[in-house]
Amino acid sequence: MASFWWIKVVLWRKKMTTLPSLLNTYLEAITPALTKPFLDAPLMAIDLEMTGLDPIHDQVISIGLVPIINGVIPLDKAQHMMISISGSVGQSATVHGIVDNQLHMALTLAEAIDWFLSKTKGYILVAHHAPLDIQFIQQQLIRCFGQSIPLVFIDTLAIEKKRCLMQQPVLKEGSLRLNASRARYRLPVYSAHNALIDALSCAELLLAQVSAMGDIKKLSVKDLINVSR
Amino acid sequence: MDASELQPVEQFLAAHSPFDTLPKESIQYCARKISIGYYSKASAFVEFDKDNPKLYIVRSGAFEVRDPEGVLVDRVGEGECFGFSTLLSGEKVVNKVAILEDGLVYHLPQSVFAKLRSEHRSFDQFFARAFAKRLRNETKFSAKDLTTTSRITSIMSSQPIIIDAHASVMDAAKLMREHRVSSVLVIDNQKLTGILTDRDLRNRIIAEGLDVNTLVSQAMTINPVTTHANALVFEAMLAMSEHNIHHLPVVDGSRALGMITSTDILRSQSSQPLLLIGEIGRQGSIEKLIQVSKQIPLLLQNLISADARAEEIGRVLTSVTDALTRRLIELNQQILGQAPMAFCWLAFGSQGRQDQVACSDQDNGLLLAHDPDEFAAAYFEALTKAVCKGLDECGYIYCPGDIMAQNPKWRLSLVKWKGLFSRWVNTPEPKALMHASIFFDMRPVFGPLSLFSELQDDVLASTQNNDIFLAGMAGNSLTESPPLGFFRKFVLERDGSEVKGMDLKHKGSALINDIARVYALSAGIKEVNTAKRIRALMDANIINRKDALNLADAHEFIAHMRLANQGYQATNNLPVNNYLKPQHLSSLMRHQLRDAFKVVHDAQAGIKLKFMRSF
Repeated sequence: MASFWWIKVVLWRKKMTTLPSLLNTYLEAITPALTKPFLDAPLMAIDLEMTGLDPIHDQVISIGLVPIINGVIPLDKAQHMMISISGSVGQSATVHGIVDNQLHMALTLAEAIDWFLSKTKGYILVAHHAPLDIQFIQQQLIRCFGQSIPLVFIDTLAIEKKRCLMQQPVLKEGSLRLNASRARYRLPVYSAHNALIDALSCAELLLAQVSAMGDIKKLSVKDLINVSR
Repeated sequence: MDASELQPVEQFLAAHSPFDTLPKESIQYCARKISIGYYSKASAFVEFDKDNPKLYIVRSGAFEVRDPEGVLVDRVGEGECFGFSTLLSGEKVVNKVAILEDGLVYHLPQSVFAKLRSEHRSFDQFFARAFAKRLRNETKFSAKDLTTTSRITSIMSSQPIIIDAHASVMDAAKLMREHRVSSVLVIDNQKLTGILTDRDLRNRIIAEGLDVNTLVSQAMTINPVTTHANALVFEAMLAMSEHNIHHLPVVDGSRALGMITSTDILRSQSSQPLLLIGEIGRQGSIEKLIQVSKQIPLLLQNLISADARAEEIGRVLTSVTDALTRRLIELNQQILGQAPMAFCWLAFGSQGRQDQVACSDQDNGLLLAHDPDEFAAAYFEALTKAVCKGLDECGYIYCPGDIMAQNPKWRLSLVKWKGLFSRWVNTPEPKALMHASIFFDMRPVFGPLSLFSELQDDVLASTQNNDIFLAGMAGNSLTESPPLGFFRKFVLERDGSEVKGMDLKHKGSALINDIARVYALSAGIKEVNTAKRIRALMDANIINRKDALNLADAHEFIAHMRLANQGYQATNNLPVNNYLKPQHLSSLMRHQLRDAFKVVHDAQAGIKLKFMRSF
């Protein structure tokens, strides 16, 4: 438990100030998950598609959510949401294959954040190169609520980096990318890319990584979160 | 949310049987209902949730299904399924599924499986067949190669084994034992009322703890599915797979005529080559023979697509070559007149070993009863030239090494052949031995067996326990080694694009042929077919049972891969060769192939130890 003192501190301090109740309950909901074994903890792989890499200036276009529950990925609970943005999708459209006219059914930012918080409440977030996605989420929280909260996450890139560094001292550029990491576990190559498929890719990668760590039944989420910090 | 967003999952399902027969909406529905699990070799076996049986669809990795006694039931790789036996039978999970290679597995809930089965006939049939195949525990067969026009009367057992409904099950069991059958027809008042099978005896009598005096009528399956005498083999097969049964009584009205079993059907498949051989024997001219020989590539393709055992394919193709050779000799003798002395047409190499495949060249020679005079020499020169030319025109190209009966070097009297072998055996010079090895795989195709035996007995007597010769042969057989390093390399270069391919002939099959030959010559075994040699060596306790069975399996598997690869090359209009591209291998096959090569590697080590210790 010692490693989560910071959450408690933030939680306590936020309570002292005026934290919107939505964020408050979100923070409280996550605490039981933190001490669970990996196989019991609800996890949610997330992936965001953005207009760029700068959390302050760039916007989130879409969010993919793929849960991992009891060590398996139930696809009926996988979700994908588009977010309407101000201005054009711009250059990143060529990367994500999203064009402006696809965004007409999208949610507003406020709706999307509401949706995200309700769907991930009680879940520990999982992402590949998680700090970037987390920063973007937190920036959106600031836009909506004027303040942010700490988010607990597992970073599959950090796990992969640690594992690779144990085997070789220097890592080749690009060797920790999502697809390169998946290839090391002989996971299938997916030609299509969007937030949902990348979240699925990330969830599958985590399952493979965890299996390679040894006895999965003895593993706790705490071990994985600590690698990722 | 857009329904088709789980594109990678949907694409995968749509590319594999039986999901490929489902409409798009069903695939999308299916993809949504899937949960994905990851299975690691470290956990050894798949853990089944007894309360929630599922269909397991392998996305990546390799698995092995074994029954409670540990006997291999099925190997499952990418795009294949396990767990359906439990879903179909409703029985408890008894089989164990071992994880050979880590991988992702899609779980489909029982409710969805049931829904798809009820809505889609093709989906239902696929699993009914797969289940039937499991029960039969026999090699797969497909419908397309069955002679669709043949009637079941041609393959049914003519004398039906019948028992009265009022007899006891013990009498029935005795009757079944006596006739060595797995089922009997049950008759009451001259009418067929039921069928009693091994399975009925097990499930309804033994498992229930019933008395052996129980009446047959209480244990039998009443009103069994039947077929009529005019039905096609194809229809009988369909009925079996639809109803998931292996015994089909043949009736005329309610009168029992006979019984047809799934084994009968399997056997009937081999009728096609027989027809071809029959046709060869009937041809009255060389031109017509050449015409008929054009069917051989098609026969090979059919055998490959029927998934026949590689050993059987080799034997079938070689029988065709033998028949062609014989007919060519006979036709030419009609022109040249009777031979001036007894002679034997010898087949060497692959024809000798009966493992011919596509585009084999000819390796043959002639064994004469004694040294020919001028007239006889001219006769045999004319005969052999005509036969070799005929074989060439039939698709068996002239031997590049000129090992052919038309070459006077290989057209010798018994005394001279003996002398030749004696030189190879008693003063073994490695290089010469290497070239001579195919001569040790000799088999008579035409002519008196006694003449051939005289030569073979003499050769085997000289090779048996001849340490120096055997060490030379063993040394030659070790110059090539199986491409085990290939797999390491393959793992590194995962896309495999830079890898040329594995030579399955020279680094696989040929090595096993060499190993079997050395052992056979050391023990004086007359067989020349590699599988038969291995069996004979096992029976004679020269190779232990386990090693022999492993070697035979490896031989079959590598030969099978080679044939399947050539079938693939032929259907895709690629040049046909012995190179297997690793990109075409599923992880399951890679695993099996590596196992097979390991067996070859170990057998080579064994040869070295046994025959080269003192050199």
